[in-house]
Amino acid sequence: MAGAAHPEAMAPPKKGPTRTAPPQMPESWWGAPRIRTYLLFGATGIVYFLAGTVVLKLAWALGTGPEAWDRALGDLSHPLYLVFHALTLVSLIFVGVRAFGTMMPKMQPRNGPLPVLAAGTVKGLIFGAWAALTVLLGLILAGKIFP
Amino acid sequence: MKHLLLKLEPIIWLLFGAGLSIGTMLLTGFVIVVGLAIPMGLVDPSALAYPRAHALASSWLGRLVVLGLIALPLWKGAHHIRSLSVDFNGGDRDGAVGGLLYLAAGICSVLGIIAVAQL
Amino acid sequence: MAESNRHMRVEILRFDPDKDEVPKSQEYEIPVEEDWKVLDAINYIKDEVDPSVSHRWSCRMAVCGSCGMMVNGEPKLTCKTSLADYEGSIKIEPLANFPIVRDLVVDMDGFMDKFRKVKPWIVRAKERAEDMENLNEKGTYSQSPAELATFKQFSMCINCLLCYAACPVIANEPDFIGPAAIALGHRYNLDSRDEGDRGRNEIFRGEGTAFSCSFANECSEVCPKNVDPAAAVNQAKLGAVVDWAKGLILPREGA
Repeated sequence: MAGAAHPEAMAPPKKGPTRTAPPQMPESWWGAPRIRTYLLFGATGIVYFLAGTVVLKLAWALGTGPEAWDRALGDLSHPLYLVFHALTLVSLIFVGVRAFGTMMPKMQPRNGPLPVLAAGTVKGLIFGAWAALTVLLGLILAGKIFP
Repeated sequence: MKHLLLKLEPIIWLLFGAGLSIGTMLLTGFVIVVGLAIPMGLVDPSALAYPRAHALASSWLGRLVVLGLIALPLWKGAHHIRSLSVDFNGGDRDGAVGGLLYLAAGICSVLGIIAVAQL
Repeated sequence: MAESNRHMRVEILRFDPDKDEVPKSQEYEIPVEEDWKVLDAINYIKDEVDPSVSHRWSCRMAVCGSCGMMVNGEPKLTCKTSLADYEGSIKIEPLANFPIVRDLVVDMDGFMDKFRKVKPWIVRAKERAEDMENLNEKGTYSQSPAELATFKQFSMCINCLLCYAACPVIANEPDFIGPAAIALGHRYNLDSRDEGDRGRNEIFRGEGTAFSCSFANECSEVCPKNVDPAAAVNQAKLGAVVDWAKGLILPREGA
């Protein structure tokens, strides 16, 4: 086992007559590939948070005026921004594959007004929407649609 | 203040879920073109020259998309960093780390609304 | 049958509340048969080598849910886990995240307490005696096969507690009501005969803190009965959020 869990984890409501040893963390916590993937998935939150602030900065510049916008857009050529955006893209794909591929198909409400679809169908629909939105937004931003 | 975060959990979770799903879907195309393709010279930067960029972003749908690109990743990020902080130090879910993260995400979202309104 | 010559080193975490300050591990070298499960090795040690080893087991066929232990750090039903899958040595410990009573036996009372909180029984708005119009001629509530299918998977839980031992959230947050209990609560929320959703949703949103679940999916990975508790917990969150939003918009009786 890998160290102690929270001392109150799964504690009984009333203390029993015998002394118990405190609960332990599962050993798989750090070493196991599944847990590592899960922690990396959580860590993409840092990238997302920063990505949101980058868009905020751009939108602010766009509202300020042409010079500010050109400067903000020019800043994005800085290697640090490029590395960050490459990391963001990797995070987005990782999050998309995990969230859309395994998590969201499981969350379909079973007793709602909507028909219950097969997990594979849900997965296909979500991935389809992701691809379609990406292509559409990409083409618009690149000036291929609505020039 | 105690349990405030726990009371707000449904709305936080909704914003997080929107960030995880819609945020990811919107951000992918944006990062590919604005973050990578244009700075690397793969796409002509004139596509996002000020008049066109402003026209795109200041339409109603454009404003909505820009606000989504700002706020949704922030909430997804804040929520994930909070749960990571709980995982790492066994911390309190109702504690200051989460509160500060959501405060930051909230302030940046309000700034995002102001930015979008100024377009 | 030919005697197998295979030997295995089995490491067991021992804890005697009368003597030990902290749990310590003890090694046993035993002969093993090819078709043994991990439970057979523990039973062999108890019968032939060291009768002081304590562990829980009953049915040997993955139905009773008593023999859950950590095998090489992963929660497993030991009656369902083949020794042949492990090379040379094996480490057996009591379920993680639970107080240890003795050796491989953990204290389940904390789970039973959480379990009760989700009201794992059919709740009707009216007492049965006043509910005559909803009862069929047999005096029971009718349910179609399609209605049964919406929750059947979540009712297959055997309370083996492997999901609690795997859950990274339980390890840090004692208030979290946990995978099996939420899955069972959600099972009743999905049941067409049940009318207790509101109370359970309040528990999911409130003291049970279902939103503490960070969807690591570990519970579903280790579940021996394919209940998929992670799906139940996250459907339950969605249900609790929808219920919360409805409560903001629509007026409620007795609210």
